[in-house]
Amino acid sequence: MKGLVLAAAAFLFLVTGSAVALRVYPGNKEFRVFLGAFAAAVAVYTGAFRLLPPDLGFLSTGWMETAASVDFWNGLLILVLVFHGYWCFSYFACLSPSMGVMVALRLKSREGMTRVEALAIQGSDQPVNLIFQRRLPKLLQGGYVREEAGGYRLLARGGRVAALGSFLKRLINAQVGA
Amino acid sequence: MLKGLVLSGSLFTVWLVVQAAVFHLVAPRKTFGSMLACFAPTVPLYVLLYWVSPVDLGLLSSRFVGADWRLGFGNGLAVHVLLFLTAGLFYSHADRSITVRLLIELARAPQQRLTLAQIQATCGVEVLMQDRLNIMLANGFLVARGDRLVLTPKGWIGGTVGLVARKILRMKAL
Repeated sequence: MKGLVLAAAAFLFLVTGSAVALRVYPGNKEFRVFLGAFAAAVAVYTGAFRLLPPDLGFLSTGWMETAASVDFWNGLLILVLVFHGYWCFSYFACLSPSMGVMVALRLKSREGMTRVEALAIQGSDQPVNLIFQRRLPKLLQGGYVREEAGGYRLLARGGRVAALGSFLKRLINAQVGA
Repeated sequence: MLKGLVLSGSLFTVWLVVQAAVFHLVAPRKTFGSMLACFAPTVPLYVLLYWVSPVDLGLLSSRFVGADWRLGFGNGLAVHVLLFLTAGLFYSHADRSITVRLLIELARAPQQRLTLAQIQATCGVEVLMQDRLNIMLANGFLVARGDRLVLTPKGWIGGTVGLVARKILRMKAL
């Protein structure tokens, strides 16, 4: 139970810390903020687990795990799983094109929108769609693709991600080109 | 605590195998619904197995036994549900990631090279958004009224969650 209580506290710290950091972070590599907050939360969890007493000053004997290692790793496992969910949720809620449409419709109330208006949210009327304005520079900076003669060529690093992606899509029987 | 973890881990592994088989043999149209339908029976099964199996499962040493059974039971159940949610997110990422799709299209292209116009024609906003709008219509988040799309109550909740999250987490579209 000690691990669970500390994991919950570390997760609250993680959410608060990342929300505050995102407000002041000037760049667009938000994953660094999330991973930084996660690393800090793991450090806080580990430190607190080592320093605090097994009963945390309020747990009864029955609610204390007998093996400290099980307690520690179980708390860490739950922290990792919840963090992964929070991370994915944050990206989905803030950047997903589907969520973008729902948020726009939510703001428009009953008025609704046409498919053309929904497409325009993602910059369909601009030379470079919004979804690529965000992603292509990151792929270039990360060495996944390079600009070449008015186009983009896949580099070895990008090829490895594409191969992994194709494998995962085959694993779940999803259309590889979808 | 370990008893619950062993049971949830075992049931989760069985579910993964069954779900992989379902994906390949049935190719369900509503994938998350299929995942949920296959996973749901593992929850009562976990409860039953926890109830009928011995405290040490016949394999755990005595030092891993002794905490209140409600702690082990609840913890195992929580981990079981969290593992399922993680698998759902993993599925969503593998199936829906725009970046992965872009890289796959580049890998499949002649000389692994595409112009921006070709990228946008293959997996650009036109293709992607039509696909996503159809999925949201099929899954009951949106409904078509004439040529306009409006939120269903389920979509309204989704939109509200997104709105609140975007106010708290200031992530930039660019």
